[in-house]
Amino acid sequence: MSAGPTPASRTVAVALILLGVGATFTSMNIALDQYGRWGARIFPLAGSLSLVALGFAELWGARGKPAPTLDRQHLPAIFALLALAVAYVWVMAQFGYLISTALAAPLALWIFGVRNVIGLLAAAVLCPAAYHLIFFELLGVFPPFGRWFDLLDVFGWY
Amino acid sequence: MDIFPALASVLSDPVLLGWVFLAAIVGMIVGAIPGLTASAAIAMLLPLTFYMEPLPALAFLYVIGKSGRYGGSIAAILFNTPGTAASAATQLDGYPLARQGKAGKAMKVATISSVIGDFIGEILLIVGVAWIATIALKLGPPELFAVYFAAFIVIGSVIGKSVTRGLASAALGVLVAMIGLDPISSTERFTFGSFDLTNGISLVPLMIGIFVLGEVFAQIEERGKTTEMVPDGDDAARNRLTWAEYKPCMPHVIRSSFIGAFIGMLPGLGSAIAAFVAYGEGKRRAKNPDDWGKGALEGVAAPEAANNAVSGPSMAPLLTLGIPGSTIGAILIGVFLIHGIQIGPTLFLTSRDLVYALFACGLIGIAMYGLIGFYGAAFVGRFITRIPTKVLYPVIFLTSFVAAYTSRGNLFDVYVMVAAGFLGWLMRKLDFNPAAFVISFVLAGGAEEAFRQALLLSDNGMMIFITRPIALLFLLIGLTALAVRVRSLNRQSRAVALEEAR
Repeated sequence: MSAGPTPASRTVAVALILLGVGATFTSMNIALDQYGRWGARIFPLAGSLSLVALGFAELWGARGKPAPTLDRQHLPAIFALLALAVAYVWVMAQFGYLISTALAAPLALWIFGVRNVIGLLAAAVLCPAAYHLIFFELLGVFPPFGRWFDLLDVFGWY
Repeated sequence: MDIFPALASVLSDPVLLGWVFLAAIVGMIVGAIPGLTASAAIAMLLPLTFYMEPLPALAFLYVIGKSGRYGGSIAAILFNTPGTAASAATQLDGYPLARQGKAGKAMKVATISSVIGDFIGEILLIVGVAWIATIALKLGPPELFAVYFAAFIVIGSVIGKSVTRGLASAALGVLVAMIGLDPISSTERFTFGSFDLTNGISLVPLMIGIFVLGEVFAQIEERGKTTEMVPDGDDAARNRLTWAEYKPCMPHVIRSSFIGAFIGMLPGLGSAIAAFVAYGEGKRRAKNPDDWGKGALEGVAAPEAANNAVSGPSMAPLLTLGIPGSTIGAILIGVFLIHGIQIGPTLFLTSRDLVYALFACGLIGIAMYGLIGFYGAAFVGRFITRIPTKVLYPVIFLTSFVAAYTSRGNLFDVYVMVAAGFLGWLMRKLDFNPAAFVISFVLAGGAEEAFRQALLLSDNGMMIFITRPIALLFLLIGLTALAVRVRSLNRQSRAVALEEAR
């Protein structure tokens, strides 16, 4: 049910069905309330079964239609950015905001095509300092302290 | 008449006016940057507003939404790239005008039309919203659930290329909203034994992920592309706009404003649809239809008036029923909730002054972006070409992390934001509908509450939704909208197949 061909129809349909089936099983494991009623189950179950039904509808709509191929040219950069994003949060949890941002800023710029070494180094210093100043000093948000080590312990910027 | 004291109060508060002015500039710039939307800017700036008073916070984000819609026209005219989806229709005549050396004139028409459209939409909102709220107060849980149901179906099926993927986006939004403890029985749902998940998924990191980080992922695919600006025309005579030139635009502007206002009231449709409907209707009724698409001033005026007229009325379902009519509305729910303001029909009983002061800020914001745009749109265009996207998007990437963390001071929220960002990119890539996902996430809690309350009221189980006429009416509206959309898509699909067969 679409105006034109949509990408990866069969894959998307199968993914929706699998997701829906998994969610249906999980919904059926939601405990009943003290009176044995399904109250807490109804909406999750409705959402899950809708996904299954929509997956079959997608599969039905994909019959005999050639699906356009997806552009995979930028996938390495996309996954590099995703890996950076996950690593950034993990490093933030272990080493605090300053060190993680000093590492993430030049890497993000690099992924987007910045190759100027001085610019990358400047970003490694300026970005953590600027964000720390705005969010953790001016707005007074409590910063995420590193579990293993935090530069704030050295500078005493609390 | 509550609006006049509200206007007086806002005009006598220089700090509030400063926020509105800043919002008018920020929205215009963000809207004009291709790829960056007002929704993204609002989601990113949302955590900053936690530290503000409710009115400046709401006014700041509300006016960014308004001026962001207008800012999209600058990119459409000057760069041949719509800054927002809503300004794609403006591009059809705006860019040919720019190529003729009349970019300045096109931008003045866009500015005036946007301002008129936005004023009409806002005035209709101010006049009608209290009346709608009075009716909404009389709706019981069965009727409210039926309204939610219609909203899910309309939002899921009407936007985007694919009905199944739109509805699947809405269903996914509902499922993600179910994560955590059931609000009535405190039963764990979809928590998989994780303590972090028992608190549920927070709205702010989810929105920052979908709208901001998702856009950063999408922009990787645009790396290396440069934005070329058409000269905005130094020829003052060619770019001066006279009343004689604008007069033929006026009927289009008025008609398109009402089209935009009507579409704005319907949840989920949004300004892009309004702009294209107004453009099509304008061309159909125009005296010079052959000039449309080649640089007709009316072709700029009609979609611009419509896409801005959406802004005010799209707040009506949010303020009266708690149902966000647009992504910006969904984000504004976050601001209301954070400041402890309960949205819905009772809002006009509990926070009437705040609501009218917000409307007053909207009116003042329209005047401000109108003035800035009329005299400075070309400058904004030149400024944007100087912003290097390879620096801008990494900065937005870093900001999204700190913004997501700021919402609750919790690193789990940042992981949620990263997951939502990737999901947002994947949804765009696969023609799913991120807006339907977020709006459904927001609606799910209220819909479930209304549904379960209705069943408690009922002696006949689900029959309560059929036996109550207003509830039945809304259920039928939802199903009819779905049927009409499927039929229209099948027709388009057949036309495409026939075209290819030739």
